[in-house]
Amino acid sequence: MMEARTVERFKKRTILFHWIHTAAFLLLLITGAILFFPGLGSAAAGGATRIIHHIASVVFIGGAILYIPLNPKRALQFVKDTLKWGKDDIDWLKAAPDYYFGGPEGKMPPQGHINTGQKMWQAVILGTGVVFLVTGAIMWFARGSVSAGVFQWCMIIHGIAFIAALAMLFVHIYLGALHPRMSESFRSMLSGKISPTYAKHHYGKWYEEISETENK
Amino acid sequence: MKLERRDFLKISAGATGLVLLHPSNLQRVGEDAETSADQSKLAMLVDVSKCVGCWWCYAACKQYNGLPQTITPDPEEPPELSPETWTTLFTTRKDDKWQFRKQACMHCTDAACVKVCPTGALSYNELGFVQYERNKCSGCGYCSEYCPFEVPQLQTNKISGDALMDKCTFCIDRVTNDQPTACAEACPTGAIKFGKRSELLEEANARVEELRKTNPDAYLYGANELGGLHVMYLLEESPEVQGLPNDPQLPPAATVHDVLQWVGVGAVGAVLAGFGLNYLVARARMVKEEKK
Repeated sequence: MMEARTVERFKKRTILFHWIHTAAFLLLLITGAILFFPGLGSAAAGGATRIIHHIASVVFIGGAILYIPLNPKRALQFVKDTLKWGKDDIDWLKAAPDYYFGGPEGKMPPQGHINTGQKMWQAVILGTGVVFLVTGAIMWFARGSVSAGVFQWCMIIHGIAFIAALAMLFVHIYLGALHPRMSESFRSMLSGKISPTYAKHHYGKWYEEISETENK
Repeated sequence: MKLERRDFLKISAGATGLVLLHPSNLQRVGEDAETSADQSKLAMLVDVSKCVGCWWCYAACKQYNGLPQTITPDPEEPPELSPETWTTLFTTRKDDKWQFRKQACMHCTDAACVKVCPTGALSYNELGFVQYERNKCSGCGYCSEYCPFEVPQLQTNKISGDALMDKCTFCIDRVTNDQPTACAEACPTGAIKFGKRSELLEEANARVEELRKTNPDAYLYGANELGGLHVMYLLEESPEVQGLPNDPQLPPAATVHDVLQWVGVGAVGAVLAGFGLNYLVARARMVKEEKK
């Protein structure tokens, strides 16, 4: 049961950005999967899915770029959080398999605002995002100007990034909305709020930080 | 040594087997199967030495397919293949004399375009050529980037990325009604011949043998390239002189793409199966923990 007191995990604008990005990403993956997986291609006949893919890519990449001037501090923090790895992350990686397979909660070292797994997901989004952008832009705007070989390998690399992003998106959806232990995760991306108990159990270090600032 | 009746039977049975299994007999059986499958395949044979550069094939292709016409092209600047030009001439100059080679889709047996086309717009016709269904094209351009002959071309809107490929159809409406292709019918010198591939192949092989007596460079291009082309060329010089790749191959990326598709299917399957397992185990252990 949700406790009366809640803590704010995500700001409204973060949530809005998350869902716009999600919509664009899903459209990209679906229209991409149609071209990628054998047997689905007939859905691309006529080229409508290509246009959708292009529009969604502008929203996906444009949204991420637009976020930088709108919220430079958070954008920088996002990149820093993603790239900064320490001992805590190693400890998390060691404890994670047992924890996610339902092992005792106490063995998981306390986490900051995002845990190492979420950090890895952010790294995948950032990394594949750059790869998608570069190879996609070449295939969209430079077909005919670049050699056939360059195009062919752009297509292969775009495909590898697609497999990585698709597999990790499944992991993200599973852990964010379905895993039995992540009971408040999905709600936190709708209302932005979680219970103090959930915060304490899942993001111990972060909860301590915000409790200290609150008490000051 | 006394030979028993049984021994005699054994030896003769073995000998018969050996005769039947002799390589020349095996080959004959294989050839028969092959030729009967190839019997229905159609093709064109282009004898480059007979081409005088009249551009009738080019004009006939434009007219039959309702493509925008242009005036008789200049051999200095021959029109390139495009969605509006499915047949053109490749021109070279040698000792002040123009040489021409009819240029269009080669209709490969192992076609890179068919392999990479995601929508099935490009496929093999049972008569051997590569058929194209325009309404299925998604405009992805893969065919254009994988074809070893750079035949498929697209009309592209650079901004929206909207695109459509078009290429030689092997006059599918004509050849399925016992008519020759428009270019072959128009050719006044017999440089473009249309017919059964097996018959053209036989004729071409005989001619190459004849030519080789005086010209060791004579070559039948397309007999075996990419599994056999359905547009073959009788060349008097090395293929490169005529703008043809010496040993055309499927680009390695086409094979990598094939493998990658199945890696993707496997990855998705593994991840989903992992979740199912994880959910069951995690839930069971958590319930147990709560009961304690």
